[in-house]
Amino acid sequence: MTPATPTLLRPTDPAAVSGLLAGARAVAGGTDLLVQRRAGAEVPTLVDLTGLARTRPAVTSDDATGELTISAVHPLTDLATGLTDGAAGAFPALSAAIGQFASTTIRNRATIGGNLVTGSPAADTVPALLAAGAAIDIVTPDGGLRTVDLAAFLLGPRRVDLAAGEWVTSVRVAQPPVEGGFRKIGGRRAQAISFLNLAWQWHREPDGRLTGVRLAMGSVAPTVVRLRTAAALLEAQLPTQDVVDAAVAAIDADISPIDDLRASAHYRRRCAAGLLREALLPPSGTARADQYVTPTTREKNQ
Amino acid sequence: MRVNGAPVATPAEADHGLRLLDYLREVLGLTGAKEGCGMGECGSCTVIIDGRAMTSCLVLVGQVLDAEIRTVEGLAAAGHGPLQDAFVARQAVQCGYCIPGVLNSCAALLDRESDPSDAQICQALDGNLCRCTAYNRFYDAVHDAAAARHPNGAGA
Repeated sequence: MTPATPTLLRPTDPAAVSGLLAGARAVAGGTDLLVQRRAGAEVPTLVDLTGLARTRPAVTSDDATGELTISAVHPLTDLATGLTDGAAGAFPALSAAIGQFASTTIRNRATIGGNLVTGSPAADTVPALLAAGAAIDIVTPDGGLRTVDLAAFLLGPRRVDLAAGEWVTSVRVAQPPVEGGFRKIGGRRAQAISFLNLAWQWHREPDGRLTGVRLAMGSVAPTVVRLRTAAALLEAQLPTQDVVDAAVAAIDADISPIDDLRASAHYRRRCAAGLLREALLPPSGTARADQYVTPTTREKNQ
Repeated sequence: MRVNGAPVATPAEADHGLRLLDYLREVLGLTGAKEGCGMGECGSCTVIIDGRAMTSCLVLVGQVLDAEIRTVEGLAAAGHGPLQDAFVARQAVQCGYCIPGVLNSCAALLDRESDPSDAQICQALDGNLCRCTAYNRFYDAVHDAAAARHPNGAGA
């Protein structure tokens, strides 16, 4: 059996949450917190945020600026629907990340808010958000709102800039370019914690040059990190073999992977190079590994 | 809370922090959902909540007080008898421990895709582990069930 049954409160009014969070802990999809609890973590009174999802849409886009506001308390399945809905804008890298996230059953529960506050360097939604320069909207204990850049929010492994009594309500990003993606390397396709992952976005100018290049990689440093040196070498360049070689070689300066139970630092450096190379110059004639659904053996044999 | 199409007694406040899996099994006596890993990875405890397949080990009772919950015990009444029959006919069941969860993932899929492809079945089952590895038979059974529900091949 699991540890003692916690008290669970379920506000449906966002204004009521802060008053309940004193001495309590927020829970949404529970896909991380309830796993920690099973492993023996003490869980105080819980304040369930999933009841707030009905008070607002999963994704909205500003008509004038195109800025996307993404709810932190909706399940990823709802975000995937909202992001592919033309009216709400698109975010290719985040959509791709959700497509490769855990499993159907987990995507039906897990939230962006949870993925952010657990502070895992391997979190699969974070690279797309970091590459897009996301801002995190946090409700403070007095019910006010403070906004922090995602880059400043991520402090270290399992450490984020979130004080007791605060909760993440939404994430905002400037309208992402139409070209972007996400790819992860894990032990298997479903339910895998990433050995490493990469999100990218850029504009492709009419002459083929890449501008606004932004890259972020997970599980290669104490937090998800931007690949600033590699991106700078790609900026305003045609992605020729020489340019790609130089950018790939520059990754080593931006990352500091370690050996852990999932992969070695050496393996991660080799994979990091391969991920960026294939994002820039997709191999032709082979199935793209970032396409989530692949034919089964049976279909291939037909 | 409604379970398998009928309202159930409102859970006591002290039970709101229980896992839905424990509430179904120990309070409501619905033992179809099985505990495998207890961490959302194996899918044995998968039930359908408001139309979506979820692992009931990672859901707390207080989070679903206003939800419509479907367990394997209620699948036939929800029109998924043909799916269960197809699992039998295709001999898709070996040890059986994963099957209630697998059936719920397949039923939730069939409710939104009347004629799913192998790729869609693969994705719907990506959170369900079967260590007897009867996956190919699951695919066959889902195709059979789709055909049985739409005998003229009419897609939704």
